[in-house]
Amino acid sequence: MHLRKPYLLLGCVAIWILLGRIFQGKNTLQIDTYENTSFTAFVGRKALDLRGNRTESPAFIYVFNPIRGAIDGFVQLIRNLISVPAPNSVIPIIGWLGVVGLIAFAVFATSQWRTALLSVSLLLACGALGMWQYTMDSIAMTLAAVLLSLAIGIPLGIWAGLSDRVLKIFTPFLDLAQILPTLVYMAPIALIFMIGAASATIATMIYSIPICIRITSHAIRNLNQSPIEASESMGSTQKQTLTKVQIPMARQMIVLGINQTVMAAVSFVVVAALIGAPGLGKPVIEALIIRNVGQGFVAGFAVVFLAILMDRSTSAAAKRQTSFIPPTAKEIKRKRIILIGTGLLALASVFISRTILWAAVWPKEIDISPQVARIANNATAWILDNLYIFTVGFKDLISYSILNPLEVQLSASPWYVTVAMIVALALIIGGLRTAILAFVLAMAIVVSGLWYEAMLTLTQTIVGCLLTMIIGIALGIWTGRSDKAERVLRPFLDAGQTLPAFVYLVPILGLFGPTRFTAIVTGIIYAIPVVVKLVCEGIRAVPHSLVEAATAAGSTTRQIITKVQLPAAKKTILLATNQGLIYVLAVVVIGGFVGAGGLGYLVIVGNSKPELQGKGLIAGAAILLLGVIFDRIMQAGARRSA
Amino acid sequence: MKALLTRRSAVVTVVIAAALVLSGCAKSVNDSAGEASGDCGSWAIAMHAWGGYTASAQVVAEIAKKELGCTITQTTLDEGPTTYDAMEAGTIDVLIEDWGGGRWKEWLDRGAVVEAGENGNVGLIGMYVAPWMVEKYPDIVDSKNLNKYADLFKTADSGGKGTWFEGPAGYTTIGEKMVSANKLNFKVIFSGSEAALVDGFMKAEANKTPFIGYAWQPWTLHAKIPNLESGHVKFPANDWTDAAAASGLTDYPSTPLIKLISKKLNDSNNPFTTLVKNFSWTNGDQNGVASDLESGMTAAEAAQKWIDANPDKVKAWLGK
Repeated sequence: MHLRKPYLLLGCVAIWILLGRIFQGKNTLQIDTYENTSFTAFVGRKALDLRGNRTESPAFIYVFNPIRGAIDGFVQLIRNLISVPAPNSVIPIIGWLGVVGLIAFAVFATSQWRTALLSVSLLLACGALGMWQYTMDSIAMTLAAVLLSLAIGIPLGIWAGLSDRVLKIFTPFLDLAQILPTLVYMAPIALIFMIGAASATIATMIYSIPICIRITSHAIRNLNQSPIEASESMGSTQKQTLTKVQIPMARQMIVLGINQTVMAAVSFVVVAALIGAPGLGKPVIEALIIRNVGQGFVAGFAVVFLAILMDRSTSAAAKRQTSFIPPTAKEIKRKRIILIGTGLLALASVFISRTILWAAVWPKEIDISPQVARIANNATAWILDNLYIFTVGFKDLISYSILNPLEVQLSASPWYVTVAMIVALALIIGGLRTAILAFVLAMAIVVSGLWYEAMLTLTQTIVGCLLTMIIGIALGIWTGRSDKAERVLRPFLDAGQTLPAFVYLVPILGLFGPTRFTAIVTGIIYAIPVVVKLVCEGIRAVPHSLVEAATAAGSTTRQIITKVQLPAAKKTILLATNQGLIYVLAVVVIGGFVGAGGLGYLVIVGNSKPELQGKGLIAGAAILLLGVIFDRIMQAGARRSA
Repeated sequence: MKALLTRRSAVVTVVIAAALVLSGCAKSVNDSAGEASGDCGSWAIAMHAWGGYTASAQVVAEIAKKELGCTITQTTLDEGPTTYDAMEAGTIDVLIEDWGGGRWKEWLDRGAVVEAGENGNVGLIGMYVAPWMVEKYPDIVDSKNLNKYADLFKTADSGGKGTWFEGPAGYTTIGEKMVSANKLNFKVIFSGSEAALVDGFMKAEANKTPFIGYAWQPWTLHAKIPNLESGHVKFPANDWTDAAAASGLTDYPSTPLIKLISKKLNDSNNPFTTLVKNFSWTNGDQNGVASDLESGMTAAEAAQKWIDANPDKVKAWLGK
């Protein structure tokens, strides 16, 4: 007899709860936060040895230290150019006016004047917020990381686009890099390359290269095959076909890949400050630590402006209309004259920025940051005063009704019960292979000795994901069905995706206090935009004929949503859930900063206490394992349901 | 790749290249704005992100810049191993306040960092209840009575026990050991950052809600909650005579705060080395500058205010 899946799942959960109740408190593998297991102590000793070896071991002398030196030098070069005083000088090589002029010209030449105008206003806004130098530092860091990422990512992407075998080897790494929460790999990188610009650049590259590879290989793979075949049949060599046919045809898509690489690097600006990157992340993190909401928002706005600037200027270049009517000789001449004219203007601005002080260093008088900070502080204070009662009530409601029972279930059950149940769920949802993978990874967490903390983090992630999906699906359906709603929500979703989580961590801390719930809410805010966008896309992709047929048959709006649109968009919604879970996990771990405990706290404490360093590194690995387990189960589930 | 380079991007490249050439040869404002820097050289001070540290470091930085003509970079980074590594690598020269009680030993033994004496501040760490509770329950500041009040501290997060808010991740914390050594019915919640603790104490005092958390001296929160010290809970002192007993830590020891400098700075023996080695001030000095910082002054302004008010101390540090 074939049992239906939902009943199997329900049965599983019932058995889980029952076993959890019976064996509650046994074999939970809980150890004191400040205790090491022999394994974590071992890793910690190795890490300390590694630090000591920096000046002696050949791997450092011949490999890591030169890499660090080269990248540091590269970043410093760009910083000298636009942000920090060049050697033997008190100003950068190009002053602020010159930077504005050059960027305006570059954007104008590659897209259109409207985008150039937007770019200039965004840059000036960053300056007016008193963040000019931090912004330039961030641009320098981003530029360095993006150039290096492209230099590695585009060739690898083309290779993966041409060869199936290469793509097959790359895919697991690309998947892994997308699940990896940023907080996790920064500690090991800093261990090898030390705190500073080099570590931050490498961490950024790990995050952005996979995106570049993925899109480039996709671009090469999805080309119209007939021109390629034509070129081959005419006797072109493989190299000729690649450079004369495939790459030019894939150009637009590759530029889109550049855009996505830039955006990935920009989204790293704040996190990178945790390992000593210069730039806008610095004031954001400082604001968190000294709890200055206003300062956090001022710097956060500058991050958002920078992100918009980078996004619009690169995506406009990708989308530039290529007209099919060839321009007349007169038009070409006119365009050239304009281009040369504006180019000369840009050069003039650089010249002025090197000769006149007001154009070299951003004038101190133009600084609206105190006012902006005051407004942000007042608004936050008002919200805190008036909403605190409600938010605390809401927090307690969720804590007692969902969070605590789930935490007891996951962390107070014996580890073997929970592992068995995770494997059972993986078997039912994803099949045998997923189940074996889940078993191996779960056992790795058990062996690492951090099972208890992993369960705390898992609890917070599940609750966060649950709430994200409730809100995200509702908003996604709304925006999917109404263009007006999409227009209204879109700016908020875009801002939410670029605003660093650290910026809203502090106000949320004010609303919910130092608790697990603060971490959960931060995760929800971070994850909602991507979930809403995916669900919206899924709803919009449902064929009109289906909806029209249902309407003609006299279905109500509710019936159309629940009986037609949601079932048809099931696969997208499952994928959205998966993304939601991964996003929440990535941010819940920074909740370690605000009282959430769990694996995130161990990562943070491992960074600052030498004796717990091993535990911190292992905690990072455990976060990754958790992410992979759930990513695999959900992906398999989504594949099967399709 | 040639196909990616359209004519437009070629023009852009030319303009940017021209800008670079131009910037190489044009007369720059440097010549007019260049400041004469003394023989002090350029040094990097580690900035840790708590108010007290900022106060000490900024005062040293301002004196070094204005009196000695040094070029000072201030780099924000994590305390502990991160900073010691940076000092070993030569990117940081001064660490003005370390609470870690010898955790730099590995680096010291390798000769990567050098101890530069105490900075005059004495770190007192302890567990504090919100001061309003002391008025209502006077005997709460004796650790023996804490269990009697444990129910008051229950929250949704503490699993039926009292909530014990532990200090930030990088700080010296022994909460779990204190709870078990003193047999307390409390659960340790890792508040994770200073912001979380400030938030907790401020709200507890404003709304008269129960709160027990990690706090220390010198700290700017004392300026915001003037009677905070009255909430300091007294625990039995550690018995250091017996190693086994000492491992069941019952309270925090007080810590003289230490300055560390890089080997390079120590060896160079220039005026800045003297300044850093001589620098020493009281908890009161530091709290003063730090609370100016809290009330919205910039670090440079707050430091300058103190320097102007204390010329004698500054002179003594400079060895004049």
